[in-house]
Amino acid sequence: MTKKINKRDIGKLLTQWNQEFAIFVPSKEGDTTKMTSWDGKDVSFLDWYRNTVIPPKASFFPPLEEMFHFQKNKGSYDLELPASDGQKKLIFGIRPCDAKALAILDMIFKDAYEDPYYLSKRENTVLVGLGCTNPYDSCFCTSLGSNPSDSANVDIMLTDIGDQFLMEAITDKGKSLIANTSGLDDATEADEARAKEAQETSYRKVTKRVDTKDIEERLLSCFEDQDYWEKVTAKCISCGICTFLCPTCYCFDINDELVKRQGVRFRSWDSCALPIYTKMPMENPREEKWQRVRQKVCHKYEFYPMNFDVIACTGCGRCIRQCPVNWDITQILASLPVKV
Amino acid sequence: MPVIDISHRKKFLAKGNVYLPHIVVIEKIIDETPTVRTFHFNFKDEKLRKEFTFESGQFAEFSVFGIGEAPFCISSSPTRSGHLEFAVQRVGRVTNALHRLGVGAEIGCRGPYGNSFPLDFLQSKNLVFIAGGIGLAPLRALIWNVIDNRDKYKNIDIIYGARSPADLCFRYDLDSWNKDKTVNIVTTVDKGDESWTGREGFVPQVLEQVAPSATKAVAIVCGPPIMIRFTFPVLEKLGFTPKQVITTLEKRMKCGIGKCGRCNIGNLYVCRDGPVFSYAQIKNFISSEY
Repeated sequence: MTKKINKRDIGKLLTQWNQEFAIFVPSKEGDTTKMTSWDGKDVSFLDWYRNTVIPPKASFFPPLEEMFHFQKNKGSYDLELPASDGQKKLIFGIRPCDAKALAILDMIFKDAYEDPYYLSKRENTVLVGLGCTNPYDSCFCTSLGSNPSDSANVDIMLTDIGDQFLMEAITDKGKSLIANTSGLDDATEADEARAKEAQETSYRKVTKRVDTKDIEERLLSCFEDQDYWEKVTAKCISCGICTFLCPTCYCFDINDELVKRQGVRFRSWDSCALPIYTKMPMENPREEKWQRVRQKVCHKYEFYPMNFDVIACTGCGRCIRQCPVNWDITQILASLPVKV
Repeated sequence: MPVIDISHRKKFLAKGNVYLPHIVVIEKIIDETPTVRTFHFNFKDEKLRKEFTFESGQFAEFSVFGIGEAPFCISSSPTRSGHLEFAVQRVGRVTNALHRLGVGAEIGCRGPYGNSFPLDFLQSKNLVFIAGGIGLAPLRALIWNVIDNRDKYKNIDIIYGARSPADLCFRYDLDSWNKDKTVNIVTTVDKGDESWTGREGFVPQVLEQVAPSATKAVAIVCGPPIMIRFTFPVLEKLGFTPKQVITTLEKRMKCGIGKCGRCNIGNLYVCRDGPVFSYAQIKNFISSEY
C-alpha cells in the first residue's frame, strides 16, 4: 500500500492529521533547530531541513522533566504524578538515524524496571520518517547498519521523488493511519523506481566511515592505554555538548526544588563528560578528562553492545558537527592502538 | 526485636511508577559517631509494612523532599521485623539534610534495589567479616541474618576497625557480639586515646595478625576503598581465592535502577548488577574505576 503526495499538499496533510494528533515538525528556535509543535501553516522546513540540532529524543526524554510534585502539609508530604495530557502525537520528518536512536533508547528504558515517563510518550507517538537527500559530510549512518532511507524504525516512511513524496506504511500503526487519510494517490511503478534511484543516490552521498568490525574487542584491548586516551582527548574541553545532542545518550540527574511548601522532583539531562557526574564526597572514579571521554566512546561502542547487542551510535554526526573543538569520534575509532 | 523466618517470603516489587517514593517515618535516631547516625524507620502505609521485603545487602533510595535523593544500604537484617534501619555519614547535601531531621519526620524511600549477599553460597562456611568505619552498616544486615540462622553457618569471625574509638559505629552490636560465645570479634582503631585499652592498627594489618583460616571460609569485606584495596592482598596471602572474597561497592547513584548511567564499571552498573560482587568478578571488571 504505497502512496504518494504532492509536496505542496503537505500542509493539507498535516492539517488533516492535526485533527487526531498534536503534530511536531522541524522548527527554528533562536539559533537552534528542533522538533516543535506545528503552528498549523508553516511547512517551510521542507526547504531548509537537513536535520535538527536538538535530536527528537527530546520529545520523549525532555532536557528537563517533572517526575512528580509534592505538597508539604504540617510535616507530611502528599506526592502527585504529573497529569498525562493523553494527547496522541505525530512527529513529522524524523530522520532514519534519529528513529533508530529511539529504538536503541527503548532498550535501556524498558530494561529491568520500566521508565514510565519515556515509554508512555513512545506509545503515544507516531513517527513519520523522511529520508535524507542531502546528508552532512559528518554523517556516517551507513557504517552502522542503517542508511539515509532506512525505514526500519518509523511508522510511515517518506521518500523525496521530486515534486512528490513516496509514502510507505511500515507498521500497523502507519498502515491504519494511511488507510484513514484522504487525498493520497496510489504510487505507480515509475514512482517506486524513482524512489529507489533517489535512495541509491542518497546512499552514495554518505562518505564518512567507521570500521565497526571487532570494535568491542579492539576497544577492550586498548582500554588501559592511558597515553593513547590522553593524547586523543587533549583538545576536549569537557563541555558535554556531544552527549547532550547525541540522540542515544540518556544519562540523567534527579533533583528537587521546594518553594513555599510546593515542591517538585525533576530529572534533567546529565553528561559523562562532566566530572561532577561521578563525583562522590571522598573520591571520583572519573576525575580525569581522558577517563570520561573513554567512558563515552566505550559506552557507545563496547558496553552498550555487551548489554543490548547494538552499538549505541547511529552515525548522525551531531557530536562532530557541534563540537567546539572539532573532536571527531570516527577519528578516535580509526586510530585505536590495537595490539594484535 | 522479634526474629522472623524469611525463607519462604515473596519478593517485594513496587507497583506503578518506579520513581515515586513511598513515605516512611523516622521512629528513632541513634548517634553512632559525631558524623554517623542510624535512622530507624517504618512505612507510613500499614499495608506496605507487611508487604515490604528485602535481602541483606540491598539498598534503597532515600529522599529528603526538597533537597534530594541518595542511596543507602538497608542496615538492619530482614530477619528482624518491627522496623527498618539505615545509617548515614554526614558528607554531602542530602546526608546533611538527613542529619537535621528529628523523630517523626517523613522522608521518601524507594526500593529495595540491587542484588544481595549470596546466602546459599555462604551456607555451611566459616564466615570472616571485615569492616571499617561505616562499612559495617551493610555487613551488619548480613551478620544479624546469619546469627538468626546460626545453625546454617560455621565459625563467625568479625574484624572491625575505625579511625579512633569515637569513630566506632554500632557499639551496641559490638557489645552483643562480644557476649555471643559463637562469634569471635576483634575490634581495632587506627589510633587509640587515653581510655582505649583495645587493639591498635589498621584493619588489613590486624587481619594479618588474626590470620583466619581460608579453609571452607568466605571473607565479606566492606569499608573505605583504601581499606578494601589493602585488604584483598592480605586475604590472598592467607589463602583466600578471589571467589572466597565478597564485597559491596559504593558509587554515586541517582536512579538506583541502571538507567541514569553514572555508577557503571565497564558494562556493569553497581546499582543493578551489584552492589555485592566477589573479588573474582572485580578482578575481571573491564575497568579499574571501582
